[in-house]
Amino acid sequence: MNKKILKRIQRRDRIARYVITVGGMAVIFSVLLILFLIARVTVPLFQPAVAERVARFPVADQGATVMAAGLDEYRESPFVVDAGGRVQFFAPGGQPAGGELLLAPPVGAGRILAVDSGEELTFGALWDNGSMTLDQVRFPSGFDAEGRRVQSREVARLASLPPLEQGVPKQALVRRDGEERLTQVALLADNRLLIRQLVTETDLFGDSREATHLLEATGLPGEPITAMVLDTTGKNLYAGTGRGTLLHWDLSEAGAVELLDRLPAFPDGRAITSLALIFGDISLAVGDDRGGVATWFGVRDGEGVKRLQRIHVLSGHRRAVAGMIPSRRDKSLISFDAAGQLHMDHMTSERHLLTLSSEAPLRAGSLAPRGDGLFAVDAAGTGYLWKLRNPHPEVSWRTLFGKVWYENYDQPRYVWQSSAATEDFEPKKSLTPLIFGTLKGTFYAMLFAVPLALLGAIYTSQFGNARLRGMIKPTVEVMAAIPSVVIGFLAALWFAPLLERSVPALFLGLLLVPVFLLAAMVLWQGVRNRPLGKQLDRGVEFLLLMPVLVLAVATAITLGPMVENWLFDGNFKLWLFHEAGVRYDSRNCIVIAFALGFAVIPIIYTIAEDALSNVPQSLKAASLALGASRWQTVWRVILPSASPGIFAGTMIGFGRAIGETMIVLMATGNTPIMDWSIFNGMRPLSANIAVEIPEAPVGGTLYRILFLSAVILFTMTFILNTAAELVRQRLRKKYGRF
Amino acid sequence: MNDFWRKGEPYIWTTAAALATTLLLAAVLIVVVLVNGLGVFWPSRVAVAELQDGTRVMGEIIRHEAIFDGEGQRVQFKIGNRDLYGLDFRWVNEADINRMSYPDDVIVLERQEHGNFYGTLANLEGRTVTSPAQGWAELRQRLRQLAGEQDRIAEMSGKLADLNGQVARLRLRERKLLYRGLTAEDARVAELQTRRETLERRFHELADQQSDLISSLRERTATFVDVSGNEREMPLVDIVRPYQPNRMSLPAKVAHYAGKLWELLSDEPRESNTEGGLFPAIFGTVMLIFVMSLFSFPLGVLAAIYLREYAKEGVIVRMVRIAVNNLAGIPSIVYGIFGLAFFVYGIGGSIDQLFFPERLPDPTFGTGGILWASLTLSLLTVPVVIVATEEALGAIPNGVREGSLALGATKLQTLTRILLPMASPGIMTGLILAMARAAGEVAPLMITGVVKLAPSLPLDGQFPFLHLDRKFMHLGFHIYDIGFQSPNVEAAKPMVFVTTLLLVLIVLVMSSVAIRLRNKMKKRYTYSTF
Repeated sequence: MNKKILKRIQRRDRIARYVITVGGMAVIFSVLLILFLIARVTVPLFQPAVAERVARFPVADQGATVMAAGLDEYRESPFVVDAGGRVQFFAPGGQPAGGELLLAPPVGAGRILAVDSGEELTFGALWDNGSMTLDQVRFPSGFDAEGRRVQSREVARLASLPPLEQGVPKQALVRRDGEERLTQVALLADNRLLIRQLVTETDLFGDSREATHLLEATGLPGEPITAMVLDTTGKNLYAGTGRGTLLHWDLSEAGAVELLDRLPAFPDGRAITSLALIFGDISLAVGDDRGGVATWFGVRDGEGVKRLQRIHVLSGHRRAVAGMIPSRRDKSLISFDAAGQLHMDHMTSERHLLTLSSEAPLRAGSLAPRGDGLFAVDAAGTGYLWKLRNPHPEVSWRTLFGKVWYENYDQPRYVWQSSAATEDFEPKKSLTPLIFGTLKGTFYAMLFAVPLALLGAIYTSQFGNARLRGMIKPTVEVMAAIPSVVIGFLAALWFAPLLERSVPALFLGLLLVPVFLLAAMVLWQGVRNRPLGKQLDRGVEFLLLMPVLVLAVATAITLGPMVENWLFDGNFKLWLFHEAGVRYDSRNCIVIAFALGFAVIPIIYTIAEDALSNVPQSLKAASLALGASRWQTVWRVILPSASPGIFAGTMIGFGRAIGETMIVLMATGNTPIMDWSIFNGMRPLSANIAVEIPEAPVGGTLYRILFLSAVILFTMTFILNTAAELVRQRLRKKYGRF
Repeated sequence: MNDFWRKGEPYIWTTAAALATTLLLAAVLIVVVLVNGLGVFWPSRVAVAELQDGTRVMGEIIRHEAIFDGEGQRVQFKIGNRDLYGLDFRWVNEADINRMSYPDDVIVLERQEHGNFYGTLANLEGRTVTSPAQGWAELRQRLRQLAGEQDRIAEMSGKLADLNGQVARLRLRERKLLYRGLTAEDARVAELQTRRETLERRFHELADQQSDLISSLRERTATFVDVSGNEREMPLVDIVRPYQPNRMSLPAKVAHYAGKLWELLSDEPRESNTEGGLFPAIFGTVMLIFVMSLFSFPLGVLAAIYLREYAKEGVIVRMVRIAVNNLAGIPSIVYGIFGLAFFVYGIGGSIDQLFFPERLPDPTFGTGGILWASLTLSLLTVPVVIVATEEALGAIPNGVREGSLALGATKLQTLTRILLPMASPGIMTGLILAMARAAGEVAPLMITGVVKLAPSLPLDGQFPFLHLDRKFMHLGFHIYDIGFQSPNVEAAKPMVFVTTLLLVLIVLVMSSVAIRLRNKMKKRYTYSTF
């Protein structure tokens, strides 16, 4: 042969080998990368928060005392308010930015005694003559000619209150609720709490009338009040005392104050040093002089009355808690102690996110509105500007899989509720109800599918007529190809309404089918013993049984309404609700069992049938020759030999049922409840992904949690499939078919 | 008899019952789909029921049912005329019906909107109709005339879409130039601008012409009367198809059925997908499968050849094989979410940054589209192809390979001349099974680019003809969408059943062919000796 051609052929062979090897391996490994890539998306969920100190600079000049601090949305303009009412701005690097503004002192006032920082950069200043002002620092922003964002600054006076006649308070809070109402709470030097409400009432004719109510808080325990906090609308007042008593008043009705709660917060009577309200104004954060931080909210007790209860314990400090700054974006809380240690925690997840420290104890601090920056000033007049990265504080293993006590719940629960209408909503992202839903649906489906598939496989491979067998197997295999969306659609829109009308018929059918089968068997025995019957072939029993089954089902459907009238007063659903207290959902587990079961039957059947027919004929022949009946042979010889294959089939079917999406999406009702009742629906992991991913912002917490549920699904099916595959390979080796 | 029990025959009967149940379930599913799907287009007679209170109900009888709590039966009528009654269906107790009749003159109109109309013709283009038969004939004649005009409008729409596409392309080119730093005064930009403006002018002229034509057509109206005497005037162009079901002969009904079937296969959907055709969904499904095969077929076969013919048997290959088998069982939604993160946001996002920065923040490839959906599906089906190809190669006796090598052929020659041809039925099987699976898979598509109504097909006459970034429609998603998300589920049901029937037919035919092929091949190689 021509050497050149030979060489070319060999070269081609080498190239082909190279291409095929590299290509093949690349395909396989790139497919294997899937898990890795999905898992990577979920990693940031569990990363701790990161803080980067952008700047440290002196803020107080000429011995001026810093009363409050603030930070704008873009972390560009940290500012401080000093005792003279001056508002000084700084550049992000710490240089004074100029353009100083003033909280104008009211008539007769000179210095600020205390400042209460509210939300959206409002500052309630208490002046030395007892008058109060409420101001807001605003950063109106616009765009200049080149399209760059420019930010200006201004101070807006929201309210001004004259001094109280009772004297200059030690501490005072003020809140405005829209245009209608202004609430001031003042703690006097003699430990009395005064409440002044300025209410604007508009009557039917559109005339508005202003009224002032001056009230005194009742039920004070005679201990010094050391901390107090008012919610954003000024309707709930909380106070803590030096001996650990926690008080809660309701101010929602104008002109009235009602003591809702007075309880000792600590058994050891330690002092409450700081109070703050977590975003949403439901949970109260309590800091004490031993450094403990906990959150409380009202829980209904036995009589249905809401009582404050300690719910979440956050990370503690070594020294007394000096102050707390709640985030205005989520349920995070910053607490700082007398030693200058600063902790950031998330309430729901009880995750300790961050520890920061300043050189001297902190005087004031402020979180950026987006929660991505922190500006704090210590007693030595040094300002610290931190950039925070804290994307998923609400996620921890406990919130994902454990019971969590959510706001407004009476006890810790597993809840999945990823979104709500309001911004201050506490996200409830427990995957447990979803995993439960997956397992529940799968369990009922397997309960239905496994017996049918395995018994059917045994019959086809061992007892069925050989010619028919050649037709049955492809039929079942074609069944496997029916799209799940079709099964789901039929289950939800055809089968579920049908079932809803005839639940008793279903149960009756479960009873009647065995009875009819038994009758058919006895009858058949009679026929077989006649001379004519003897000519009938074995292996066609299933054909004979089909009309019997149809008859049984038809009888059940006909008798169903009668049974319903007789046993369940004519309405099974009502009866179920009254007698058992179980709600009947139209899309329930029975529907799922049938639909999902129908989808996995062919898978289990095919694999089990393969395993059963691959058992060597010699084993069967030997058993039969020794005098065993055909059932005894199957039960004692064939089944044990094929058991690994049957196991594998069941596992693969199980895996398929876990991951099936369209059927459960359409036929479960998608309510994430945890209830084993077969008359309820559920929400499985897979349907949850399909439902929620279109609404999940990329990179957000929900998005990553959905990826985590995909990882869980992947892992579950991976374990099941690997187990099945290992067993199957061993079986193959044993009987050496492939 | 005793013997019967002792030998365990009852157990055998139980297994037989299980098989019978399984087969019956499958049969029930197919029968339900067939019965509900096939009957949809058959023109059923329109009944007029006179009720005890003197009112009359006209409509198709959908079903009879026992009254939930009470005696007797009730009948569900499809009364149509959504614009008059607000509801398409009405339940009437049989006891309330005095008399039922099937008048010949009833006309059923399929309309562009508001569903079917049931009634009689009263007035045609201003002239009162005296003889129903003559009126019917005239109505049909007018509609035939109008069909020509409507074709002209459709032609204009095509031209308009073309012009619009050209304008959009020019605008993008302009934006690209501006993005590169050219000012609006630059000659090239200005030239583009003038070209675009000319096109826009032409567009507006044509659009005006078209709307004139449409409004002149809309002035030609007919008035119909429903059973209670309510009149309804409607433009003739809104009538898609009129028919008189009570007067139709069997051949006419067959012709009607065939016409509807053709409409189903070739037309666009109407009325938020509950009426009209399925063409875009069929096209989307076919194209999806085609693009998917383009990726998964070569890759799967390559991987299988490597695994079976080139890789050395050992622990690693065994593990890889387990992994591949494993991947076939991984939930499709997991592939979907992977496709979303990796293809759509990962690769698509990068393509947008690199090649289409001027269009940002509007995504081009950084959003779901047919390319990403196909790639996701091809990942999902690669294991199927690998497993099938491997099995096909494995079924070839080693003697064949050795024989070929012994005759001096190289490995590549053996592979391409002997092994692949022999394994081709098996490989085909794998491919067909993969395609069938892809045709029925919906969950991963829902997050990678399928939509309920796509404005344009991914393949059309506009440059560059193949738009892989476009969103598409899909039969399976169509079922989910109109069955579960449509505002009027009851009215949409017939369409869902038709779609279901179509999808089931496609998938069943494909997989039956695949299974036949496989069984044939199995016989060929397992029982032949070399």
